Amino acid sequence: MPGTVAQAGSASSGTYRASDIVKSYGSVPVLKGLSVSLHPGRIHTTMGENGAGKSTLFKVMAGLVQPNGGTLHLDDAPLLLSSPHEAHLHGIYLVPQEPALMPELTVAETMFVGQLPTTGRWRRIDWSAMRARAQEALHALGLDIDVDAQSRRLSIAQQQQVECAKALLRGCRVILFDEPTSPLTTHEVDRLFSTMRRLRGEGYTLAFISHRMDEVLDISDDISVLRDGALVDSVERPEFDRTRLLSQMVGREMRTIPRRSWSSATTEAVLTVDGLAHAPSFAEVGFTLHRGEILGLAGLVGAGRTEIAETIFGLRRCDAGSVVLDGAPITGLPTHEIIRKGLVYAPEDRARHGAVLPMTIAQNVSAGLIERVRRRWGLMDRDDEDRIGAEAVSQYRVRCAGTDQTLRELSGGNQQKVVFGKWMGLSPAVAILDEPTRGVDVGAKDEIYELIEARARAGTAILVISSEMEELVRLCDRILSIYEGRIVAELHGDGITPERLGRSYLSHAGLGAAA
Amino acid sequence: MSAPALQAAAALPVRPRPARGSAWLRRDLREIALVGVTIATVLVVGAFHRDFMSLQNLRFMMLGCVVLSLLSLGQTVVIATRGIDLSVAPVLGLSAMVTGLMAQTGGLPLYGAFAIALAIGLVLGTLNGLLVARLAIPPIITTLGTYSLYSGLIFLYSDGTQVDSVPHAYATLGNGVVASVLPVPIPVLVLGIVLLLMWFIIGHTRFGRAVLAIGNNQAAAYNAGIPVTITQVGAYTISGVLAALAGLMFLSYTGSATVTTGTGDHMELQSIAVALIGGTAIAGGRGNALGTVLGSLFLSVILTALVFVHVPPIWYSAGEGVMILLAVTAGRGARA
Amino acid sequence: MSGGRNDVTARRGASRRLPLGNWERALLVLLVLLTLGLVAAVPGFYPGFGDFLALSENFLPFGLVALGLTTVILTGGIDLSVGTTASLAAIVMAELWTGLHLSIWIAALLGVASGALLGLVNGLIITRLRTEPLIATLATSFIYGSIATALAGDNPPSGFPDSFNRLGTGAIGGILPYQIVLFGVLAAFFSALISRSAFGRKVVMIGYNTEAARYAGIRVDRIVTLSYVISGTTAALAGIVLAAYYSAVRPDMGSILLLSTITTVVLGGVSIFGGDGSIAGVVIAVLLLGMLRQGMLIAGFSDMVTTMVTGAILLGAIALKNLFAGRGTGLATLLRRLRIRPAATT
Repeated sequence: MPGTVAQAGSASSGTYRASDIVKSYGSVPVLKGLSVSLHPGRIHTTMGENGAGKSTLFKVMAGLVQPNGGTLHLDDAPLLLSSPHEAHLHGIYLVPQEPALMPELTVAETMFVGQLPTTGRWRRIDWSAMRARAQEALHALGLDIDVDAQSRRLSIAQQQQVECAKALLRGCRVILFDEPTSPLTTHEVDRLFSTMRRLRGEGYTLAFISHRMDEVLDISDDISVLRDGALVDSVERPEFDRTRLLSQMVGREMRTIPRRSWSSATTEAVLTVDGLAHAPSFAEVGFTLHRGEILGLAGLVGAGRTEIAETIFGLRRCDAGSVVLDGAPITGLPTHEIIRKGLVYAPEDRARHGAVLPMTIAQNVSAGLIERVRRRWGLMDRDDEDRIGAEAVSQYRVRCAGTDQTLRELSGGNQQKVVFGKWMGLSPAVAILDEPTRGVDVGAKDEIYELIEARARAGTAILVISSEMEELVRLCDRILSIYEGRIVAELHGDGITPERLGRSYLSHAGLGAAA
Repeated sequence: MSAPALQAAAALPVRPRPARGSAWLRRDLREIALVGVTIATVLVVGAFHRDFMSLQNLRFMMLGCVVLSLLSLGQTVVIATRGIDLSVAPVLGLSAMVTGLMAQTGGLPLYGAFAIALAIGLVLGTLNGLLVARLAIPPIITTLGTYSLYSGLIFLYSDGTQVDSVPHAYATLGNGVVASVLPVPIPVLVLGIVLLLMWFIIGHTRFGRAVLAIGNNQAAAYNAGIPVTITQVGAYTISGVLAALAGLMFLSYTGSATVTTGTGDHMELQSIAVALIGGTAIAGGRGNALGTVLGSLFLSVILTALVFVHVPPIWYSAGEGVMILLAVTAGRGARA
Repeated sequence: MSGGRNDVTARRGASRRLPLGNWERALLVLLVLLTLGLVAAVPGFYPGFGDFLALSENFLPFGLVALGLTTVILTGGIDLSVGTTASLAAIVMAELWTGLHLSIWIAALLGVASGALLGLVNGLIITRLRTEPLIATLATSFIYGSIATALAGDNPPSGFPDSFNRLGTGAIGGILPYQIVLFGVLAAFFSALISRSAFGRKVVMIGYNTEAARYAGIRVDRIVTLSYVISGTTAALAGIVLAAYYSAVRPDMGSILLLSTITTVVLGGVSIFGGDGSIAGVVIAVLLLGMLRQGMLIAGFSDMVTTMVTGAILLGAIALKNLFAGRGTGLATLLRRLRIRPAATT
């Protein structure tokens, strides 16, 4: 490794091609032989729904994931990347969505990790040169970040910007951004885009992932659309067509998303939320949920939807407001009591929050309310636990070898069904489902929707949080749009169309029209 | 929207950096606090007991912290990688026993003792490192296992004998002063040199910064091209070498070594305690050589002060326990 | 596509609930071989059934500590204060007996209760002050040690009534030591507690995934605190048994317990990261290490040599476990490569 960071402007001109990339995890194919090519001085956007394989593609191109097949070419020279470090040496840099922090180190040192400049006979770290060059790199991007600050104090937006500067310092000409805008506010997105434009102007090769149609149309030169691990469309700047892109993404005409013809919603209020606030995530959130109703919470990642759900569920303290369940206030109660009173929450991140993957199906199902399992001599009756597990397996059509299989061995869809079984077995009055089809393959999605609808028909009031428009349009009786922690629009009945829903939170300029 | 935004970003002035002094204050709060509390203790106790401030007592307190400081400096490097080294106590004991017996019966010269101690530390420390980094055994289990192994080695080597006298050269190393005009105890000089070295290694070499980067985020460190395995092994090697050096200093200072030297009074736990008091984070990523030595000195001063105010010695370890709790909770407050 | 995937998962199901996992079975085989080997090779190791059983009196106090410590380690924590807790509890008992002239049995009960209290302090420091278990129990181990030394004074009490000492060295009908009965009952209790009770289930969930446990409405802090109370209680019990064994107490009598007990628990297959492990494995590890130690002592090896062998076994066992799990680099990678070939041919 060279003693100093190579300055930007290595010999490569920066045309980066990935051809016929194949990648599968176990028996699950993620990338099915797709090809993209990135060009210097252009911004290439990869679009697609959750699980389409965008992130995996970027990770393959950045050396984080080894593909099962396919080739990479940088300026027509074949490339084998065994680690991200090797990708850096070839001038390819991936800016992750939530950059890996070195919380205890200063910003300047984080930028030079692995390549600290040294000086003198004792090869001691040249702190002043390091700080100066870090400052210079940030300055070149027009960034106002203190290089002596501890990394832990940076916001996610700042971390991404620092990552950009890191890429420049390492002399990288190809910079990939893995869905950078999701956790950012509008203002922060503007800042990021101005940085990207500046780099494009200087001939860098840029690629990024995004869901937000407006920003994609705004900044991209080329767009590739991925669906189920394959490339379905690829267009250049003048030929952008919003409707066509949207339908390519979901695989059918947006207008033909089937809406339920029936509704089990009643007028009996089950959950009333009033003036709920938790700084800085959300404020003045109020709505009523009725028995048998499916209510959607739409919005971008980071809009505060998950925080609202977790506050209602007692996992976070609220600053103000009240939550009333079946006429009784549950504000500020601990989670276990809220569950007992009939409100349950299936979190977005199954591996971290929703389930215990190394434990068995039966154990995960009974975890919702361990007291439910019959006792014998004060001990849990295993047969009864198995019975409860088996009931959930058959009712929610979990495909498995037996209730003693660990969740780790199941597919995403089947894991999610187990999580459903755990909560729905309690016949809750209210169920909050956060991204219920995250990490679930397309075939199993419909099954999950049917299960949700069946539960609503049985009288449970359901709150669905989702970033997928199709999902909300298909499922919900009513939809609330959340933008930066506040409810900005409500759609119901025939008013629910993909266009209006999209406008209500994707482009806040169109708020008036949506409401 | 794009063009104005671009200009706005470009036009933003770079925020003037805060004055260097305040950043320094913030970063080195722990050391300043330790120095302050140590001096305050000396002054307050000294006001009531004149002997406490005597040159002889100050020298005694400094001497008292040398062995533990050396041990804790190695521990600091290991904890900074997000590891832990319980085996420092038997490494100390083995080094003291081997060099001591050779000196007692064979008249091993001092430079030979240094070479042997160094070799012992190098081999045993590296073995720890290899087990952790190459076989992926969690550090606490690895060093628990080698703790037993190395303790056994002490016993096998000593074969029931013990060291109760050492040649004159050793006693000078342990108790002498550098020169009559410069009444600094030699052990303090040794500690000073090691501290300087460790301060340089942790703060100003690629290896030291790699140690901290691994402690911060091992996966990210690997992705950035840091040689993770070598760095981890290196951290345990340093810990082993310093523990062995501590053993030699212990032998020279006390003139004795037994089968339970080091392990008997749980030096491994004490070294962890000192590192924590000195501001090293148990979750890794933060390690501080100067803080560790100051922590050890502070401990020595407090314990001696307790003697002066007639607190029975049995309460010393309780004092240590309370200090650990205060140190970690206070550290959290400062960082929040 | 999802149908195809589910064909893959459709296997197993018949291998339900074997009483012991692979690790435990391997340990059991090792235990049997070791015991038979020692009986055959070491003269005096099997002097008669009663004396053979009495060998266990030397190591079962470690087993008592291990049971409680397992509960803590299963939550993903650690308790470094078990040694000083044992000493302190025994000294509390002895002082109550001499100082207040309480019945030795009531004093013993109060000693065990004091262990629970010390565990509670650990638990509260960890959950309320949000301190790492390693740091918190390191600190309290120093503090408890001081209190024990202070309470004991220069001449700690000794010479307990014979009826009490039989707890440490007596045997029912001269054959079955009381210690075995106590350990057996407690092992059965802990086995049920960990694998069959709601509490144990919550402990395991917290160990595998603390966040998921919290999202499932489990009162994590309460369960964690309780696990330290349990660990303090069993440590105290071990201290009481040691006091009966020696018919004396000393402030440092528990210090030998800590490291060997952690070794036992880890060798028993309990993951130091929490969640994974069983009481059965720990019980077998207690017997395995205990028999090994006694066998080597009788064969004339010193205590330190057996300690050394114990350390080597611990490292070897965990290294092997990692090798088979394909973790680590170097040897592990080699083994993985070797394993791929036979898998491809079948």
